[in-house]
Amino acid sequence: MTDTLVASSRTVGRWKARDVWCAVAGIVSLALTVGAASTVSVPVNSDLGLVAVLPYPFWVGVLILNVAFVVALRGDAAGPARRPVMIWLIAVLVLMLFGTAAFATDIPRGEIAFRHIGIADALSRTHGIDPSIDGYFNWPGFFALLATVLQATGLDPVSLALWAPVFNMGLWLIALAVVTGYLTRDPRRRWLALWLFCLGNWQDQDYLSPQAFGFFLHLVVIALLLGPLAARAPQFRGFRPADLAAWWRGRSPAEPRPGYRVGALVIALLLIVVISASHQLTPFMLLIAITALTLSGRVWPNRLPLITIVVLTVWLAYPASAYLSGHPPLADAGLEAATAANVLERVRGADGHVLVVQVRAILTLVLWGLAAAGAVRDWRRGRLDIRVVLLAVTPLLLFPAQVYGGEMLIRVSLFALPFIALQAGSILLPADGSKPALDGSKRRSYHAADGSKRRPYLAAGGLALACTLLAVMTVTGRFGNARYDVFTDDEMAAVTAAQRLAPTGSALISAAHPTPWRSQGYLEHRYRTMDDLCRSDLSTAKCGPVVYEYARHSPGGAVVLFTRSSEASLVLQGFTSEAGFAELEKWLSTHIGVELVYSNADARAYRVTP
Amino acid sequence: MNGVSRPTLALGISAVVLSLVTLLGLPTPLQAVAAAVILVLLPGHALARFTQVSDVALRALLVLALGLAVLTAVSMAMFYLAVWSWQACVITMGVITVLACLARARQEATT
Repeated sequence: MTDTLVASSRTVGRWKARDVWCAVAGIVSLALTVGAASTVSVPVNSDLGLVAVLPYPFWVGVLILNVAFVVALRGDAAGPARRPVMIWLIAVLVLMLFGTAAFATDIPRGEIAFRHIGIADALSRTHGIDPSIDGYFNWPGFFALLATVLQATGLDPVSLALWAPVFNMGLWLIALAVVTGYLTRDPRRRWLALWLFCLGNWQDQDYLSPQAFGFFLHLVVIALLLGPLAARAPQFRGFRPADLAAWWRGRSPAEPRPGYRVGALVIALLLIVVISASHQLTPFMLLIAITALTLSGRVWPNRLPLITIVVLTVWLAYPASAYLSGHPPLADAGLEAATAANVLERVRGADGHVLVVQVRAILTLVLWGLAAAGAVRDWRRGRLDIRVVLLAVTPLLLFPAQVYGGEMLIRVSLFALPFIALQAGSILLPADGSKPALDGSKRRSYHAADGSKRRPYLAAGGLALACTLLAVMTVTGRFGNARYDVFTDDEMAAVTAAQRLAPTGSALISAAHPTPWRSQGYLEHRYRTMDDLCRSDLSTAKCGPVVYEYARHSPGGAVVLFTRSSEASLVLQGFTSEAGFAELEKWLSTHIGVELVYSNADARAYRVTP
Repeated sequence: MNGVSRPTLALGISAVVLSLVTLLGLPTPLQAVAAAVILVLLPGHALARFTQVSDVALRALLVLALGLAVLTAVSMAMFYLAVWSWQACVITMGVITVLACLARARQEATT
């Protein structure tokens, strides 16, 4: 099970008409989706996000691509379509699902990518790391990398952020292709796992971020554990201490070359260090995965979990100590708190927003349900791979450990997704398609065993339909916040003006977090939002005086920013109403020392003198 | 240099040339390509060659991962030591590549 996949016979020989048609279908669907997405006008004025404003050719393109993929996957007696065709179709899917917003606007979605650019900019200006600034400077690995890459390449940071989701998905898929190669010999199941990984990836963690970088390295470490560092587990004899000790010591390396194993171990250690230095959560996910695989007896270096704990502890105790001294990691642990922050508090707001949240939950549950059904099916056939199950389930252990800003469930579902997708493929692929590869014999027909062609065609049609529905749900979930995380040129101009108008050392206050700021002058201002200052009670009577007093007492005063997107965010998530937002702005604007200094269709900026 | 393979030689020379070219500066798209190659791909490739990895897909993955991880470690160390500049990173990654090629050349010469 730990050998790499033998190259398919598909890689040689002549192209078939079906392969060419599938490739052409990919071109057509890409043209349709890009053309349709580029006609979307910004701002997006729907509570459902992009899904409500994408014209029908986009969905035709989605349908064509999924049908083409299933036809290519189905292939013929020799296996699926040729590898370049499969790669091309997946590339189109990535552009379609993860580049959609980039075809509609030149501005990256969401606030956080701007913040990350600002941190890299701050590093390259100061040439040093001050951990007392904020949490990001306690895990600076990714930002150090970003600073070097931006300065050395001369790339435009905003363009890099715009296309980061496509780039990161490419990296993840390369890693996942290697990982699945160690988990199944069935090429159809591998291609389907990659496809489902894209279709289930609504979590939107692939922007320019340390977690996207960390997730890539996490997958690489998993690939090393399943490949050159894999072990053959000895026979389990029982739970007596002597039996357990013999079982623990009895594992033998699956890779016969010691040099190769040691080299892979050194690389894994380097990656563990870099992950620990780059992101708060990823090393814990990695530790859980390493520990689970080691405890299953399927990893050769059985002290690797211990080494990972040492690396993680050293990083937390020294470089990250400044942050941790004020933020104990288990302060908000507990299943109840985690459920409230990750589930209950997210299902509120405008009807459209609630629907989007529900679609995300349903999409996740559907994939988990398919994976569970696939696991049962594999188990009944005696071919369940415990490593896939462990890697899919163990991220859940972290759910009650930390609220993580209400995002823990999102992160858990992302780390489980590659293996959920692989396991779901077991139930979605008709049985006859997977048999030949599992026993390593020559490939057989994809047709039903009784020779009837009706049932396989129905199964293929069902798979195409299921994939299309998943794609619709992913676009809904992923771009469901487009009303407030897709910014307009006017908002960008207002932020630039506000940063210019605010003296160094003064405060910049925006109504809410989706504000495309901090990409420059990260250290020059104090950045606050009203929903943070007012602890989410944005009523004029309570929040108005809090914001006003904060701005008046800030050294150098403040610039207060009201933007369309921040208003949409607060209204959509049920924190205030349009009337309430307007009342708050009016209340502030009529006070002494408050002056309108910038205005356009989507934003107003007020200077508050101290 | 008897017994040293052409790929090792080509890798080492490319690292020196691309380091110089990147430091001197090129028009934007070419600068981006040259910098990506000298910062990530060449060091990743030079280091991945030590692992005896035979699987093409895993080798490609390790080139990317190793290149990015080493660049992260180098950049971060320079920031902690307050000696960072992108030029210093380019030189360091070039030196790492050349050293890896020299070590590989010694291996090749002795086998």
